[in-house]
Amino acid sequence: MSFRERLQSWRYNLVPDHLVGEILTKRWTDNAIPFLALVVTLASFGSVIPGFFKLNALQESTRQLGEFSMVVIGMTVVMLGGGIDLSVGSIFALSCFSAVYVFFILEQSIWLALAASLATGLVFGAINGYLVGYLRLRAFLTTLVTFIFGRALFDILVTTYAADVQLSTATSDVLDFIGDSTFWGLSVSVWLAIILAIVTHIALTRSRPGWHVLAVGGSRRSAHNAGIRVRRTVFMTYVFSGFCASIGGFLIACRLSGAGPGTGLNLEIMALTAAVVGGVSLGGGRGSVIKGLMGAIIVLTMTNGLIRLGYGTGTNQMVLGIMLAVAVTIDIRWLKNRHKVLNEVYVAPVYLRMGATQSAVPGSGTPYELDNRLSAADHIGLGELEGPEDVILDRDDHLYCGTRHGEIVRFFAPDYVKSEVFAHIGGFPLGLAFDKSGNLISCVGAMGLYSVSPEREVKRLSAETARSWTSIVDDARLRDPNDCDIAPDGRIYFTDSTKRYDAHDWALDSIENRATGRLLVYDPRDGSTKTLLDGYRYTNGVCMAHDGKSLFFAESWACRVHRYWLEGPKAGTAECVIRDMPGYPDNINRASDGNYWMAWLGMRTPSFDLSLRHPDMRKRMTRRLPQDEWLFPNINTGGVVKFTEKGGIVEALGDLTGDAHPMVTSMREHKGYLFVGGILNNRIGRYKIASADPNWTSPASYWGAKP
Amino acid sequence: MILDPILDMFRGKAVTIPPLDGAFRPNTRLDDAPVFAELTEPDNLLTSGDRVLASSGNAVYSLAAGAEPKVVETTPSPVTALALSPSGELTVGLESGKLLISGKEVSLPVEVRCITALAYDEDGTLWLANGSAEHAPSQWAADLMKKGASGSLWKQDATGDAFRKVAGDLAFPYGLHPLGRDVLVSESWRHQLVRFDGTTGNRSTVLTHLPGYPARLSPSADGGAWLALFAPRNRLIEFVLQETHYRQDMIDQVPPAYWIAPALASSRSFLEPLQCGGIRTMGIHKPWSPSRSYGLVVKLDAKMQPQFSLHSRANGTRHGICSVAETDDRLFIASRGGDCVLAVDVASGGF
Repeated sequence: MSFRERLQSWRYNLVPDHLVGEILTKRWTDNAIPFLALVVTLASFGSVIPGFFKLNALQESTRQLGEFSMVVIGMTVVMLGGGIDLSVGSIFALSCFSAVYVFFILEQSIWLALAASLATGLVFGAINGYLVGYLRLRAFLTTLVTFIFGRALFDILVTTYAADVQLSTATSDVLDFIGDSTFWGLSVSVWLAIILAIVTHIALTRSRPGWHVLAVGGSRRSAHNAGIRVRRTVFMTYVFSGFCASIGGFLIACRLSGAGPGTGLNLEIMALTAAVVGGVSLGGGRGSVIKGLMGAIIVLTMTNGLIRLGYGTGTNQMVLGIMLAVAVTIDIRWLKNRHKVLNEVYVAPVYLRMGATQSAVPGSGTPYELDNRLSAADHIGLGELEGPEDVILDRDDHLYCGTRHGEIVRFFAPDYVKSEVFAHIGGFPLGLAFDKSGNLISCVGAMGLYSVSPEREVKRLSAETARSWTSIVDDARLRDPNDCDIAPDGRIYFTDSTKRYDAHDWALDSIENRATGRLLVYDPRDGSTKTLLDGYRYTNGVCMAHDGKSLFFAESWACRVHRYWLEGPKAGTAECVIRDMPGYPDNINRASDGNYWMAWLGMRTPSFDLSLRHPDMRKRMTRRLPQDEWLFPNINTGGVVKFTEKGGIVEALGDLTGDAHPMVTSMREHKGYLFVGGILNNRIGRYKIASADPNWTSPASYWGAKP
Repeated sequence: MILDPILDMFRGKAVTIPPLDGAFRPNTRLDDAPVFAELTEPDNLLTSGDRVLASSGNAVYSLAAGAEPKVVETTPSPVTALALSPSGELTVGLESGKLLISGKEVSLPVEVRCITALAYDEDGTLWLANGSAEHAPSQWAADLMKKGASGSLWKQDATGDAFRKVAGDLAFPYGLHPLGRDVLVSESWRHQLVRFDGTTGNRSTVLTHLPGYPARLSPSADGGAWLALFAPRNRLIEFVLQETHYRQDMIDQVPPAYWIAPALASSRSFLEPLQCGGIRTMGIHKPWSPSRSYGLVVKLDAKMQPQFSLHSRANGTRHGICSVAETDDRLFIASRGGDCVLAVDVASGGF
């Protein structure tokens, strides 16, 4: 091995590149950028401005933050519903004025002032909501109009009544308390903001109306199709936004004991910036209250910090504008490209040097030598079937197989022309086995281990195992359950091929070649699932040995077959019985002569074997080429191989023309015939085996003669 | 986007190839065409009068409809190029680097060892394309995968003087088409057609960004030309060409037939590389899937721009077209990957 190759093997086998992709699949990575921005903002202003974190200064900032957060929460909810509310600033100002007018000029109680304030907000919110939600006007223009209208009204009112407010003598302890005092160290406005944030967060994430808002924002049409009342939902978001703005307005009325021309000025821009900087998507449906609050803190820290550093309003506006532009760009680019980034970094190949293999080329004289015998097989279900990964026959000679539509199809003996859908499970039914009482057990790709009773009742047996301590993506879930077999005591041994790829992407796992395949056991007595072995390169077929004391399982991408002992001195351990085959093994089943059949799903090619020693090349390949162009193992040619209990190879059958059975993933011997299936094929083959026992059947071999 | 060049450093630049569009829009005309004659790996076609000559292995055959190919001439090593002089002398280039005119060996400069194409212009000047200075014609794949650019262009005046080198540093010149005193050369590894001035040797590019590797050129009756493209460009192959270590290891350790390289025929052995798109699914091999071999003949107009094309797609068999010849409104097409010579009626407007 050259020095370069050794370095490569260290680099790609020891550095866990795959974790990057797994972390990116997490939704919380969306929060990472705003959180980072928050930390950077706080840290930089905290270090530049002396006394930035002093209690007095903080008290005043947090009061402001409380009011501002209210408005941002309202804006966040509107944006989550797919809209935008530019009128929050004017609603805020008008609500403030309502409170001031009722309290100082009409000299009514503070509670009436609060009611007036809320009423103002709700009415304006309802106007917005009616126009946008029910009349379906453009949110941007509509709220712009209410913004201008509300602002103009506020300016007129303020200039008219400013003097009267100044002359008023009304006082209230409640007002002073709300405006100036603290409660357990925090001002009332902060308390209110916290309560509102918690309530809104719970409503959005854990209640029906909240989910409706997210659904409408995510996709209006889908939400409508799902029966959600889209118009009312949109209406309610604007009413809520008006409500939030009005509480903010009331709080500032209490704090300033008046209303001035500057009240709520530019608030809509600040709130919008806060929401977007926090990571609430402009397109709707993505975001959270927490994100809105993070944005609020960032924006307020930034503006206040800049003022204290001596910069004027102009600079402040400029910085806000720049922040908004940057956040919108990141938001759009990230949303659009997130899956592309994920695709590019997800495949993280490892280094593997495959052992030298015997040739399977016709005429090479090895036991692996492939021929054309399978091309002579009769076909069953040609053109009707799609993807019979595994095939099995019952005691009455009926033939069963899974399809890629999630069905188990039954073909009737003796001619296998007539067929019916035996059961619909979903997912992709792969490995099949009959248990003692005639239930059909199936490993369903992307779903789990299922059982179908003779009365066609579908039951889930297992969909998860124990989670490993170091996993980032939840590996308790069965991702690609592949094949199963049943021990004499009824326990079901099955494989979960990979933790990294979903069932339909199984071939991608060969590019990465990471050893994440597992062997598991399901115990029907207590319904538990245990992981027996982990860390194989795509565990595949499972077959109980004839004596029931051990089982064989295939490790596809390593081209090996292992034997796992259930009893005896080696119980609980696995040993490799066949290594370095020229083909990739799939399902394994019993043969009538005491040997075992093994399907080959594909063949090793020298170019692909070499690429396994060049993980860097494979990584670049997945990044620079579209998936259709990637180098794969040759899975256009497969075969069926018979091997002995000791691992000796008896013979190999193939279809080198590739017309009938290019890829073989399973075979089942039954009364002298071999039934052949392929996960990407459109038929089942029936091949007459020379010199096979014409009475041997698999159910009888497992469970004895017919009861 | 404006940031793409910066992002490319981290994510890798996409490998792209010209699309099959416009004049190259795919069809199945080659697979639909009737077989004129069965012949193992027919390479170079010639027409003289009503005869059709084809080279295959160590012999030149004469083909006729409904009859077995007749041997016209056998040679000591495989034939790699054919031409017919204005006076009717059969000129044959051999794998061993020898040149025979009417069966007599002609002395060549030592540099010429890879004769890929021969052509006479009207006044009897013989043009010769020397594909590579390092490899024999049958080792073209090695020349490509080693990024060879050591080919050269030679000519011998009608007077029969010694061969004179017109141009060098060509990336596998594979086809010749004399245009008056000039010559049009297909430069295979650079996927382009280049025109060389007959007296000065100055070059000018005529057609670039071909979607395949161009092979022989031959004249058409309307003053244009036919261009055969012997293999398609493939993004995986272009990617491997940029992967120094993998490519070097592949050349050293993998038998040439199983390289990730263009081929004249593919899917014949399970040891050949397979790309994801080429997986047979539900009995279907997608015709648009990436492939190492393809059948493609392009008609060029008088300005040597593509007019239309004939295809055998990834799921077809008439792959590896290295040479075509037109006579009496019939176009003969030699498919090395399909082991046959096809005949297409040009006059009936089948295009």
